[in-house]
Amino acid sequence: MSRRLAAWAWLALVLLAGLYLAHRIQDGLTFRTDLLALLPREEQDPLLQRANEAVSRALGRRVVALVGDASRERARAAVQSLSADLKATGLVSAAGDEIGADRMKAMGALYFPHRRGLLSEGDRALLLAGRGEEIALRALSQAYGVFGMADANLLRADPFLLLPSFFTGLPFPLSKLTPDDGLLTVVEDGTTWILVTALLAGEPFELDVQERVIGAFDAAVERLRRDSPGLQVKRLGAVFFAQAGSQAALSESSWLSSLSLGGTVLLILLVFRRVGPLLHNLLALGVGLGVGLSGSLLLFGELHVAALLFGTSLIGVAVDYSLHYSACLFDRTAGTPRERLAHVLPGIVLGLLTTLIGYMALMLAPFPGLRQIAAFSILGLLAAFLTVALWLPSLDRAAPLRHGAGMLAAAGRLWRFWEDARWRPARVLLLVALGLVGVLGLSQLHVDDDVRRLQSLSPELVREQEEIQRRIGATTATQFLLVRAADDEAALRREEDIAGTLAALKGDGTIAGYQTPASFVPSARRQAENRGLLRSALEGPYLAAQREQLGLPPAPPEKDGEATAPLTLATALGRGDVPFLSELVLGPGLHVVALQGLTRPDAVRAALAGVEGVRLVDPTADFSALLGKYRQRALLLIAGSALLMVPVLVWRYGWKGALRTMLPSSLALAIAPAVAALAGQGFTFFHAMALVLILSVGVDYSIFCAESGPASGAREGVDRRPVTMVAVWLATLTTLLSFGLLAFSQVAAVHSFGLTMLVGVSLSFLLAPLAAGAGAGRKVTTPARAQTAN
Amino acid sequence: MTRVILALLAFLAFAPPALAAPPEPATLSEGQVLRGRFVQERHLKGFQKPLKSEGHFTLVPGRGLLWRTDKPFAMTTVMSPSGIVQEVRGAETMRLPASKLPFLSKLYAMLGGALGGDLRSLEGLFAVKRESDPAGWRMVLVPLKADDPAMPIRRITLTGARLVEAVEIVKPDGDSDVLRFLDQELTAGPPAEDEARLLGTADRS
Repeated sequence: MSRRLAAWAWLALVLLAGLYLAHRIQDGLTFRTDLLALLPREEQDPLLQRANEAVSRALGRRVVALVGDASRERARAAVQSLSADLKATGLVSAAGDEIGADRMKAMGALYFPHRRGLLSEGDRALLLAGRGEEIALRALSQAYGVFGMADANLLRADPFLLLPSFFTGLPFPLSKLTPDDGLLTVVEDGTTWILVTALLAGEPFELDVQERVIGAFDAAVERLRRDSPGLQVKRLGAVFFAQAGSQAALSESSWLSSLSLGGTVLLILLVFRRVGPLLHNLLALGVGLGVGLSGSLLLFGELHVAALLFGTSLIGVAVDYSLHYSACLFDRTAGTPRERLAHVLPGIVLGLLTTLIGYMALMLAPFPGLRQIAAFSILGLLAAFLTVALWLPSLDRAAPLRHGAGMLAAAGRLWRFWEDARWRPARVLLLVALGLVGVLGLSQLHVDDDVRRLQSLSPELVREQEEIQRRIGATTATQFLLVRAADDEAALRREEDIAGTLAALKGDGTIAGYQTPASFVPSARRQAENRGLLRSALEGPYLAAQREQLGLPPAPPEKDGEATAPLTLATALGRGDVPFLSELVLGPGLHVVALQGLTRPDAVRAALAGVEGVRLVDPTADFSALLGKYRQRALLLIAGSALLMVPVLVWRYGWKGALRTMLPSSLALAIAPAVAALAGQGFTFFHAMALVLILSVGVDYSIFCAESGPASGAREGVDRRPVTMVAVWLATLTTLLSFGLLAFSQVAAVHSFGLTMLVGVSLSFLLAPLAAGAGAGRKVTTPARAQTAN
Repeated sequence: MTRVILALLAFLAFAPPALAAPPEPATLSEGQVLRGRFVQERHLKGFQKPLKSEGHFTLVPGRGLLWRTDKPFAMTTVMSPSGIVQEVRGAETMRLPASKLPFLSKLYAMLGGALGGDLRSLEGLFAVKRESDPAGWRMVLVPLKADDPAMPIRRITLTGARLVEAVEIVKPDGDSDVLRFLDQELTAGPPAEDEARLLGTADRS
């Protein structure tokens, strides 16, 4: 009666959870994808995160292609046609960083009124060194020289031609390219290469954007190639990489998941020859996922997509419980669903308990990601367990199955392998081989958290990217300097303070170039200094002579350049005429210094160590470091949870039995990473997560075996071990089908996870009968035992 | 502006083949050197008098051009396929690698073409009107694209007999350059040692 009540209560709870989930989905359920949400709270830095996102968005949205042809005209025509086709998608806009004549004119108009405060680095150094005469001479040489670059108006207003010098000193990237009639061009070995740049209107990781943009791009290139077969097109940009990646992932995941799902369904149908067990399994799993998701949304308010991913995997363990129950259909001694449940309940409860302990250990970590994974899995597992314990016996109408004799016999062979004396040499051989693999592999084990090795970049695109970088010069690095100050003026001053350091870094080749907002708009302080310097070091001594030499009338009575307010960053940004500037200024006092061709991030970091408000941000390295922290934490927690499981097992099986039960999964935990190391993989967070799963799965298998050990059947005169073994077989095969198959993935992270699971779960299964002896020593008076014997 | 120079250089070196009849055209080839004096007057609006400079030049096909101003002050400009270098009283005041100066690379393609007697590159940019009489020839170049910001030139007029003798360049705002070439001498053989050294300075960029 109370059991019935509990089943109804559980139904009500599941319905409530379902309602809450439906409500959240209706509100537009989204998952967090940002890394910030995974960082320990004390390390979270929203400003840094904003900078990171802004910079990676600016970089990620850039579509770059280099079009080359032996004929300049053909190359130009191809570029125009390609750009037009891209624009026609409506998803791409002009990059806005072309430095054409119009742009130059607009920049001239912006800077001209403030010219007295603008000095190029070189001119400033000359004036500071008292070498103003060289500047005067340079202007004269330009006025008189064969290259009459100075026009009359400019010379009259700027007789030292300081503004043109400031202009040429502006740090524009793409150093090897030259504007050729409006198109950035480089000629190499007779081939004219022209740059095509555009900005994506959407995110490069949106599938729809990828398909339409790349589709238009490929179609245009194909058409152009038909007309001029010699045309070469090289691509660079996140959208190309993302598209190649998602193409590979999509085709791979579609066959992996159909194999996994189809295999699992087929396996269960084949083994039971009826639909019931399949439906029961799906029900347990579905309720587990639903309640887990609903509950953790209630707990945390939001979930990270990584938690969803790993949590779903961990809940997959729940299938073992319902499979264990279903396998009892083969047990002749358990005629009714109640009896079946009674037979498996101790094993399932213990399995659940140890798994929960393992996952609860994840909760202890201060990492939000691990906490969410843990909460999600714990709730999901509990729900799946309750579904098996409370619902399955009522839903199950089946009589014991009669067709399983051959299967039971086959399953029983694994027992005999571990018990029969004639298999002893094989057993020893196996253990020695495992030991050897373990020792060899573990000696080669090394950690590798570098996130770049987890991505599988299309080698063709990587090659094209390198070619483009070689031709156009170093491209902007994903690393950047973040300058923080109270306001823009303070930030600009900071940038001026580090200008010398940056120049030195450029000098020794650590970076190929850099852009600071201050190089486009100096601080008000610097502009005032420049005006003073101009007066004292240049105009004072040389202005009269300069004007005379140029044939200009003597200077008009000071029109007072000092009255002109300095150029402000806000003005320059508002006009939008200075290329790149808007990408460098994220907000008041929050600036980015873009770096090109960064070879040694450490050297930059070291050079800027101790400079207040300036730090090198390396998103890739930060992410790698984060993965490293998660890896360490996950490993510690595995050790912790294994220790926490011991008391439960000791209570049930005594010391010796507990050790026996832990032995198979401990061996699996040691050998799985060893095999991964032998396969040449560096140990990553993904291996660690696989180990978490292996521990809980492995201990479950051992417990199932221990519970059906010799003592269990002996009392009733029935050997229940083959039935248990069928359950473990099934659990292993379904786990391998869902996780082990991932070893065939091309995505490095997924492959690592899959390979570790494949080895670990197989070993846990193979060694599980070792735990059988544990049941012999268990106390008969425990409540669970009493229930089973009932 | 550099296109002005290329036009200038093109016509320093040879007379158009179309005008072959009365004055014999001279086409420079590798191994020859053209030397001469120049007088340059730059007329700028709002300036009391033109900026006048004088000096001598050396053109070495395939190597580059030396433009040595003696008055009002000593200044040397070296143009080579790799870039432009300017020196005033021994101090370098400008160094522009070809990759940095817009049109410079094209300039050299055209210079090469012009020296080889190939007019096509010029005709792609200018409408060319030619007149000739027994005393010499005259050529007026007008940019094909009006108001092209990359080509701030309204008109170029060249006059010459065997070689180019005068060039007038008029800019859109009315400023103009007038160049006269005197005592031109075409010799065979390598450039002199100091000329070769100066030409070399533009190569290390």
